[in-house]
Amino acid sequence: MIDFLQLTVAGLSQGSVYALLAVGLIATYTVRHVVNIAQGDYATLAGLGSISLVTAGLPLPVAILIALISVTLASVLIERLVIARVKNLTTLVSIILTLGVSTLLQAIMLLIWGAEAKRLPAFPGSDLTLGGVSIRSQELWMLGALVVVGGGVLLFYEKTRWGKALRASAEQPVAARIVGISPAAASVIAFAIAGFVGATAGVVSSPIYLSIWSGGLLLGLKGFVAAVLGGLVSFRAAIVGALLLGIIESYVAGYVASGWKDAVAFFILIIVLIIRPAGLVLRPNAVRV
Amino acid sequence: MSYLNKAAMRSKTGFWPNNRGTILGVAAFAVIIAIIPFTASSSMMNIAVFSMIFALPAIGLSLLMGLAGQVSLGQAAFFAIGAYTHAILLQKFEMPGPVAAVGGVAAAMLAALLIGLPMLRLRGHYLALATLGLGFIVMIAVREWEFTGRTTGIYGYGRPEVFGIPIDNNGLFFWFVAPFVLIGLVLALNLTRSRAGRALSAVNDSELAAESLGVNTYALRVKVFTLSAGFAGLGGVFYAYQVQIVSPQVAEFHVSVELLLMVVLGGLGSVWGAVAGAFIVELLSEGLRDLIPAIIPGATGEVQLIGYGLVLILVIILLPGGLYQVVKSAWAAITRRRADASAKPSSAASVDGGSGEVPTRAFGGLPGEAPAGAGLDEATDAAASDARIPTVSTPVAAGQPILEVSGLTKRYGGVVAVDDVTLTVPAGQIMGLIGPNGAGKTTCFNMITGAIAPTSGTVRFLGEEIQGRKPHVGAEAGLTRTFQNLQVFSSTDVVGNVYMGRYRKGRAGILRGMFGLQGREQYAHEEIAHDILDSMRLGDVAGLAAGDLPFGRQRMMEVCRALAAEPALLLLDEPMAGLSGSERELLAQLLRALRDAGLTIVLVEHDVAQVMALADTVAVLDDGVLIAHGDPESVRNDPAVIVAYLGTDAEEAEAELKELEDQS
Repeated sequence: MIDFLQLTVAGLSQGSVYALLAVGLIATYTVRHVVNIAQGDYATLAGLGSISLVTAGLPLPVAILIALISVTLASVLIERLVIARVKNLTTLVSIILTLGVSTLLQAIMLLIWGAEAKRLPAFPGSDLTLGGVSIRSQELWMLGALVVVGGGVLLFYEKTRWGKALRASAEQPVAARIVGISPAAASVIAFAIAGFVGATAGVVSSPIYLSIWSGGLLLGLKGFVAAVLGGLVSFRAAIVGALLLGIIESYVAGYVASGWKDAVAFFILIIVLIIRPAGLVLRPNAVRV
Repeated sequence: MSYLNKAAMRSKTGFWPNNRGTILGVAAFAVIIAIIPFTASSSMMNIAVFSMIFALPAIGLSLLMGLAGQVSLGQAAFFAIGAYTHAILLQKFEMPGPVAAVGGVAAAMLAALLIGLPMLRLRGHYLALATLGLGFIVMIAVREWEFTGRTTGIYGYGRPEVFGIPIDNNGLFFWFVAPFVLIGLVLALNLTRSRAGRALSAVNDSELAAESLGVNTYALRVKVFTLSAGFAGLGGVFYAYQVQIVSPQVAEFHVSVELLLMVVLGGLGSVWGAVAGAFIVELLSEGLRDLIPAIIPGATGEVQLIGYGLVLILVIILLPGGLYQVVKSAWAAITRRRADASAKPSSAASVDGGSGEVPTRAFGGLPGEAPAGAGLDEATDAAASDARIPTVSTPVAAGQPILEVSGLTKRYGGVVAVDDVTLTVPAGQIMGLIGPNGAGKTTCFNMITGAIAPTSGTVRFLGEEIQGRKPHVGAEAGLTRTFQNLQVFSSTDVVGNVYMGRYRKGRAGILRGMFGLQGREQYAHEEIAHDILDSMRLGDVAGLAAGDLPFGRQRMMEVCRALAAEPALLLLDEPMAGLSGSERELLAQLLRALRDAGLTIVLVEHDVAQVMALADTVAVLDDGVLIAHGDPESVRNDPAVIVAYLGTDAEEAEAELKELEDQS
């Protein structure tokens, strides 16, 4: 039983990373209909960047802050220099394009930081034990980051006028322009949010899960699987899906074999795509014309 | 004018002209292949061998992207399945090489079929994501499974032998794989120009229009996806032979990226481009692996990825058509310059030929009727000679019901767009469907043709219930349509559009297409397409890109396309909109002649006077409800119709009525 609970805690903390990445993916998909394969690379970039800054002698909070801001700016830069340059950006083209961005980012990280995984020092706080289950303080930081940052983005998109206008700009670019938001501005804001959320996931997870140049792709894809559970539009379903995914992975690693852990997400992806392609919450929509 | 002359004028038909590019290209490629092993250094030879191996999955991926309009991010998975299956059959089951190779290809195709059957029902990016997932699953599975040798992989099987000669060096291996690449290339090129290939590129322009002509998009896409995996599996077979150890590396994601890059760089949908892309990416990869550690000391690992990422981004932003586009526009520039240089002395003659030719092919074949708006003297003698009315099939006797609509209803949330419409269309008549804007006419059309599914009610065409089925079901049975918002296949020319109308009359499937065994059938259909265009006075623009035609002529082209299908029932959605006066007259004449030949026609039209003049019966929709149905005279005098069109102002209604009567 303790094992089970221990695995659940580990799954929840890992799931919170997937959830943050899913939130980032949905933030850009709802506004731009871009599936951003590079989303997970934001996380590794922020992780590796903050590790270098700490190694250079900066205090941890300062290093993290600089990393978050830089990755947010990098995401905006990617939007301006790459995404915005393509005139007829279908979702399929966006996948190929951001795959290129992801490959490029990974190669740059490989050249700068080398091939080995690196670890950011743990955040302050003390581990606690609840009924035999030990919870690391870093895991609480991860869940906390999901609540604050992920929840913040969710509220921004669903409750504020600006957020609603952003979502509208994907469906109704003309209407969105009338209420005063240009599609270009909406896209920049969405990518800034995606960059910030991805970077947050990267820094809070690095102390436990490490940062390695090639790790972003798999992280991002798992975030993506969670986003598909939410039909690529529902933040709430994606967050719940991400936490579940983390927990299931953790059980597979604990009870089956750790090697199979990474395959779970893709089995779920294929099964969901076959059964309910519109996601778990939306009613399947059969419009063909 | 003799048939031969005409065929020569049209020039596109014939084995040699049609295949000249392929034959010359393949011959040149074969010569290069024969020479390479004698001239290349050993490191270049190594690159060349891997380029040939990777060209196979790249050709497959290019077919998938170009024809099915889908991306596979897991092409490496099929490549790996082919390689592993081949190696396992050789090593564990000691099967002969050819049998093991067939097993490898079959396994890859089977995997694709299993993924494709559910995924290709969905449009958009789902297949890309599912194949991405499959890629990771395959990689993890081979890494974790005892049977596939875990991280070490499968090794210890023999090299291939051909006529007792062991293929044990790069030069021989290059020649060993080359025939397969050449054959694969030819098959893929044939496929892109076959009936199925052209249907699929039409689908990429307008899925709805293609399906309305009888194209079963789903089935074709599944076949192309499976075929594409077969190419990948074959590549995997050769890979297993060449490297002599198949390990999980072969399934890694960056292999899929590499393959994707080959296709994108070569040009989406270009088979030659995929082969060229394979060579360039392999060279780039080797070059970067040498170059980057020289610039950045200590750089190790997959450093070539930086080039992959950059090239992928740059090609999509700056060169969406890839190398194929570059070569094509360069070639066009060269031929234009050459044509300019040689055209001057002979240009006058060719203009004469043109102007003599166009009118003779105008609107022939309608007995006793001179072409309207002729003003071209030659036009009259055309009626006698070679242009024909499109053939009409009449499976039911005139007057018998051909289309029975009963209780047809469509609700969108709380809005009822079409409410309980019941209507029978007898064969051999023209029925006009009229009604004010938003009355639900097009919605009715869409439900009858299968573009949308009704909420309730039935549609029986030739006694068969077709409601809720995909458009190709009705189309195969002989129901074709045109569109209010034009659905032109813009990637082909005008005759190519009309040729697509012949789709349901053709038989050749993917296999016949690949082996090029359908030339004769295709030429015959193209010939008929030309005849139909001639009869609608579009013969002079047959070779133009369809998107370049003015709006009115595009509409006429759509009518030609629908007629080319030799339908039993033709549904025209506002065919007169945007036509000039003489074009309207021409179309009206044609429709009458077709009706007399036995075709049943239903047309939605805004122009009430036109409908009244043309139709045998008229049905009126208002707010989704059928308010009147009968001969034009009784409908015109129906008070409900008058109110529907004009509101309740009786004075205005009478004025309008008078106007209508004056017009007719």
